[in-house]
Amino acid sequence: MKILRIIAQVGVLYLFFLAGEFLQKQLQLPIPGSIVGLLLLFVLLLLKIVPVKMIEEGSSFILAYLPMFFIPATAGIMNHLDIFSGKGLLLIGILVISSVITMAVTAHSSQWIARRSKGLQPRRRIVVGIGKKEKEA
Amino acid sequence: MNLLLALAFIALSVGVYLLMSMLYKRYRLPVLLPALTATFTVVVLLLGLHISYETYMIGGEWINRLLGPAVVSLAYPLYKQRHVLWNNLPAVLGGTFTGLLVGMFSGLLLALWFGFSKIYVLSVLPKSITTAVAIQISGNLGGDASLTSVFVMIAGFTGAIGGPYIIKLFRIRGEAGIGIGLGTASHALGTAKALEYGEQAVSMSSVAMTVSAIVGSIVGPVAAWMLYH
Repeated sequence: MKILRIIAQVGVLYLFFLAGEFLQKQLQLPIPGSIVGLLLLFVLLLLKIVPVKMIEEGSSFILAYLPMFFIPATAGIMNHLDIFSGKGLLLIGILVISSVITMAVTAHSSQWIARRSKGLQPRRRIVVGIGKKEKEA
Repeated sequence: MNLLLALAFIALSVGVYLLMSMLYKRYRLPVLLPALTATFTVVVLLLGLHISYETYMIGGEWINRLLGPAVVSLAYPLYKQRHVLWNNLPAVLGGTFTGLLVGMFSGLLLALWFGFSKIYVLSVLPKSITTAVAIQISGNLGGDASLTSVFVMIAGFTGAIGGPYIIKLFRIRGEAGIGIGLGTASHALGTAKALEYGEQAVSMSSVAMTVSAIVGSIVGPVAAWMLYH
């Protein structure tokens, strides 16, 4: 029975994807339809219009096997094997450097903001769901 | 005939994936991550058997169709951790937004500077975003999905393997910063690495990964537009 529930729930997720695509086209939104679907589902979950039980197992299933769904798209690299030689290696270096910068800038700016927003609201905040007090940054 | 071919290629992809994830579960080495090894095996098999990518995609396309609902399903972990998001909203939003901007422009400008053509530059753009979303952003902008997918992996490995060195080198202290940094720069691979820094780092990283996918899908097209118009 569990497998049927998973299939049905993946179907629900698919409907959200289709709704997102539809809205994206109708409203000429600049973001992908799947992201519109994600936001739509997130909002409906928050408003309790869609009960979390309705998508829980389907989402967990997809997320558990997520890398499998990338295989066909990624395999297209067989038509671009030149990026692993010559000038392509330069691109790999660029990606690594840019990723290092991304991580450093993100971490420091988020901590800077966290410190400032704590200064404005001196009450101690508890991270719900973890039960651990936020560490001083 | 096409249906049989499609089924065979689907079975091949799923089979290789399951095999490779068993291998990964046994040894737990980052280089054995199924996303890497399974794709590598499929590519080697296709090249060895002289099967074109286009032929493989007769089946692959069906798996590809699940990428849309896969993106939608990211709403579930975000919902589960909504309290983490609300309690740290300025830090998560501000951090991912700043990081994404700097990350996208540093990648774009470096690639342009070294004279890479448009398709490569646009494929580099969404590198820090989780694969399912990055592929779509890249495709919409005129990049190549498979290049982007490989670039996303490289960004992921940078955080998963280089993370501890980056944390030391740039003196990143505090679980929140580490988590948001790893999630924004290195998506799911970064989030897996965040496990080593504590629960708060993991949940921050997971939230940051999804938020940066949403923010990135808005910022990405704007950045591409600024460059090519």
